Amino acid sequence: MINLKINGQDVQAPQGSTVLKAAEQAGINIPTLCDHKELTPYGGCRLCIVEVQGFRVPIASCTLPVSEGMVINTNSEVLQKSRKTILSMLFSERNHFCPFCQVSGGDCELQNAAYHEEMTYWPMQPGWNDFVVDTTHPYFILDNNRCILCRRCVRACAEITGNFTLSVAERGAASSIVADANVPLGESSCIKCGACVQVCPTGALIDRTSAYQGLLADVTEIKSVCVGCSVGCGITLQIRDNRIVKIEGDWDAPVNRGALCEHGRYDPMYEMRARITTPLMRKNGALEPVSWEEALSAVADKLKPLSGDPQNGVAAIASTRLPLETLNTFKELFGDGMKSGLVTSTEEGMTTQAVSALADKVGTFEGHLDTLKNADVVFCIGANIAKSHMVAGFMVKRARPFGIRIISIDPAEENEMDEIANISLKNKPGSDLALIEGLKAIIVDEGLGRTPLTIANPQQLIAEAVEKTGLDVESLSEAARGLAHGVSPVILYGKGLTAQRNPQLVEALLELATLVGAVDEERVGLLSLKGEANSQAAAQLQMESQFTLNGHKAVFAAIGDDYVSKKLVERVSVAPYLVVQAAYESELTAKADVVLPVTIWSEQEGHYINLDGRVQKAIRAIEAPAGVRDNQAVLAELAQKLNIPLSGDWQRASQARHSSVVLN
Amino acid sequence: MQTKRAMILVSSDPESIRLGANDLIKSLNESLAAYGLQDEVDVSAIADIGRADIVPLVIVYPEATVYGPVKAADARYLVEEHLYKGRVATDLLAPPKQLSGHIGWLRSRKGYNPSEQRIVLERAGRIDPDSVEDYITNNGYEALGKALTEMTPLQVIETIEKSGLQGRGGAGFPAGRKWRFVRNAEGDKKYVICNADESEPGTFKDRIVLEGDPHLVIEAMALAAYAIGSDEGFIYIRGEYGVAYQRLEKAIQQAEEFGFLGQNIFGTDFNFKLHIHAGAGAYICGEETALIESLEGKRGEPRTRPPYPTTNGLWNKPTLVNNVETLSNIPAILRNGPEWYKSIGTPSSPGTKVYTIMGNVNFSGVIEVPMGITLREVINIYAKGMKPGSSFKMAQTGGSSGSIIPAALQDTPMDFESVRKAGVSLGSGALLICDQSVCIVDLVKVLLQFFRFESCGKCTPCRVGTQRAYEIIDRITQGQGSFEELEQLPELAAEMERASNCGLGQTASAPVRDMLKHFRTEVEAHIRLGVCPTGVCPMVAEEETAPA
Repeated sequence: MINLKINGQDVQAPQGSTVLKAAEQAGINIPTLCDHKELTPYGGCRLCIVEVQGFRVPIASCTLPVSEGMVINTNSEVLQKSRKTILSMLFSERNHFCPFCQVSGGDCELQNAAYHEEMTYWPMQPGWNDFVVDTTHPYFILDNNRCILCRRCVRACAEITGNFTLSVAERGAASSIVADANVPLGESSCIKCGACVQVCPTGALIDRTSAYQGLLADVTEIKSVCVGCSVGCGITLQIRDNRIVKIEGDWDAPVNRGALCEHGRYDPMYEMRARITTPLMRKNGALEPVSWEEALSAVADKLKPLSGDPQNGVAAIASTRLPLETLNTFKELFGDGMKSGLVTSTEEGMTTQAVSALADKVGTFEGHLDTLKNADVVFCIGANIAKSHMVAGFMVKRARPFGIRIISIDPAEENEMDEIANISLKNKPGSDLALIEGLKAIIVDEGLGRTPLTIANPQQLIAEAVEKTGLDVESLSEAARGLAHGVSPVILYGKGLTAQRNPQLVEALLELATLVGAVDEERVGLLSLKGEANSQAAAQLQMESQFTLNGHKAVFAAIGDDYVSKKLVERVSVAPYLVVQAAYESELTAKADVVLPVTIWSEQEGHYINLDGRVQKAIRAIEAPAGVRDNQAVLAELAQKLNIPLSGDWQRASQARHSSVVLN
Repeated sequence: MQTKRAMILVSSDPESIRLGANDLIKSLNESLAAYGLQDEVDVSAIADIGRADIVPLVIVYPEATVYGPVKAADARYLVEEHLYKGRVATDLLAPPKQLSGHIGWLRSRKGYNPSEQRIVLERAGRIDPDSVEDYITNNGYEALGKALTEMTPLQVIETIEKSGLQGRGGAGFPAGRKWRFVRNAEGDKKYVICNADESEPGTFKDRIVLEGDPHLVIEAMALAAYAIGSDEGFIYIRGEYGVAYQRLEKAIQQAEEFGFLGQNIFGTDFNFKLHIHAGAGAYICGEETALIESLEGKRGEPRTRPPYPTTNGLWNKPTLVNNVETLSNIPAILRNGPEWYKSIGTPSSPGTKVYTIMGNVNFSGVIEVPMGITLREVINIYAKGMKPGSSFKMAQTGGSSGSIIPAALQDTPMDFESVRKAGVSLGSGALLICDQSVCIVDLVKVLLQFFRFESCGKCTPCRVGTQRAYEIIDRITQGQGSFEELEQLPELAAEMERASNCGLGQTASAPVRDMLKHFRTEVEAHIRLGVCPTGVCPMVAEEETAPA
């Protein structure tokens, strides 16, 4: 620890800390604008300057490392005057007329900084360049006229998202924030994650949906979990009048540390599907509104006789976007209660079955997303993390300036990882096992392995890999060496691999990971990406089988607010009797005999298990519309009508089987 | 080797080339051939000798007769008169009112004026910059050989420390101390960078060295690398210095061939690889941390300090950044010893300083004089006095980040300590001498126009301060000034100086400060009377022009 004095107060701070952080921890407030706790210090705005004994001029505290015996003054009269002058400069620089600004929701940090310094006006005559407002982006607007050039957005784009789209053009007073080589945002390489908007201290980058929505003081903030995919990012929901005004990444969330992708931040704000608010029942060929009592009784009457028949009774399928509690109730109702032989999820175990099968055999073998932090090589196979699990993709992409090497192997034509990968291989579909065995053989053959492994005839395996994958031996060797040379490699695998439902593939990958030291006693650098928010929960409840109707006489589909693929609709809708529990109208609800309108993600509460086993609770943020019932409640009521007892013990149910990841 | 009876040197700096130096060399060779003298007389290119007023100039040895300006068409006449008939071609002689036809310093190396003393510019203009042999014959690489074979790195640093050499980039930081910082910094790899991004307006002293004596920089960098324990160096050269770039490139190649660069230099285990990198036209990249960022391939923006480049420089490794002029002193110090160096200049600021003189004076060009010469001496002796009808009003030093020295301060000795005491600065060594026809407000406006255009935009005080200050002064020149705004200027200037991130912002306000300190009445006349006393400023609102 380093000892220093701030404003006469003795302060201790760890080595490498900045004066700003040390002051903050000691409860001393230093105003800042360009600094952000999740971004590297920049030292641009100069609002945080402090007087340091022995220095000729004041120094920006955000970039000043603490050193032993430092004596700091943060609030002398001269500094106060400096701050006011600097703020005056910023106000006079561009279009900042706070009293008239309707864009700010009271969260404009420039405005707040001025209030903090008790400023009511600024003395300088303004003069500014007229910048064109960039409105080409679907989700947000870039208005350089309100920009204070703090570069938070530029840093967020690079350091949080790893996309490197935003930068500064020109210099001096003519500086402006631009995308790529000064192209309109909407035509740029932007991946629409909105991190820049979240960090913007003024109204230079604003969401289309949240502008002009009133003061931040009037909204309720609720911290919850995004259910967009299995990464399980923490989110902060701003609620006003039972309506989501804005979704932001939760800076305190351990999974994402504030990062969020397009799907988490904007998809829910642009929900266009028609909501169902009353139960519907097919009468004379058409769906007609009925009461909940009528609908549920009809369903109970129809399902009761099918109970106890695993093959020809009711088949049940539930969305992996539903909370763990709901999935558990679903399993208890249809599996344990009605003895159905087919209780599965809408993912049908595509992303988990092969992984779970190996976990049943060897126990937990997968690691944690955090291993990516220190990874120097990332080996992606059958996975397009830049698209399917964007925030996990950010973790890889943003490490590029620090020298991370990316090896991407995927037969799929389109994979966003190809653009950023150092080595990108397109093997023939179905040749993954031969490829993995080939890589292992090369590593053993060249003596690059870190753990002993004997392969009888490596040359034969290499030849087989070349033949089956359609890749030449040089490319395979390059990938093998690239992986083996990593000091702390991480192997990620996705749907491209797991959808083959072959536990042998996963086992081969585990062997490869052990061979190159991705998995050892200290760290586990092997992880499958899973699918939707609760893929892992469905896996723990053994809802992983493929859906085939066979002799089942009825299907109960709990879709919640999920989308349903065309292929699934085709297979499910041929059922003689179809009950759909859904929030939005879809092709499936159109073909249902009974439709039960239910809550969406933000209207319900429950737990989710993310891809690395973190059990997180999503919080109810808004009230459901009238006529709509909670997913869980509908199932419970149905169970009651069918006289099926429910234990509701989801904790025990989720731990009944070995998990590939550590659950916590 | 065949001995030549005479040697013709032709200046070949960019200005000479523009005015036909290449054609002149061709014509001289043709004329020599026509008189059958091609085996007796050699024609060589040299760099600028600091006489931009008479280029292309021709010097004929052994008499050391200076002709200029000489056109290609004059070549035949010159050869016929001087080399064939053996008499001076009088009508081509360099104008005597500026420089005598026979300038003694070229032969005696003692300077044409008693007090000019050349260390940095010792060889520039006297040797063929493209010839490493020329450099070696003139004590070149002697210091490097001596240091590598007879001295330890610490002894080299001690020698520089004892010499009292201060950085010539503008700040005047003791060079030896900086070397020691880098030497003591922990790191498996260290770098040496030569800051040759000379972009201060009116400054071209480094160019003379780079164009006229490129091996000097290479030798000095190798010495620095040996002293601090580095094996790789970069010369970051201003993008516009095309000729200098080519000469350096060639010099590096020659040095590698001769074993002054590369592996096992002088048979020791010292290795040094030198790269050259051209800037892209940003003034800010002359600031050492912005230069490093630029070298790393990033946007040229200064870093925040501390940490300093001495510990966290290029690619986060300990890095020594020295200006061309600073480095150019090193070999001579090692050859002649620190005591010799300390005997030149003043006790607090030893050595010489290269100045580029321009403005309303009779002589414009480069001089190298001992530290401590006064401005009055520079004007009256070296600049041959003010132009007829001109009287001295003020001088602007050090390009833009220097200060404005009023006539009242012209007897201040120009060394680091004295000017600091007088509240002015030497800056980079440019001396813009202004007479009574120059309006102070207009001068400051021009300087601020430069700064607001060259500010990188990273920190608020510099980015906005230069812009606001420019606008206020611009309004004054248009007759729109107000005392209320004039009162804001000192506040703006103070904040820029206190709160800016780098030297640009910290010194950009100096012209404003100096203007208000020394010429306030003249500024107030613009506002109070609505007239510009010198008649320079328009004093009416101009049509609004598109922003820069």
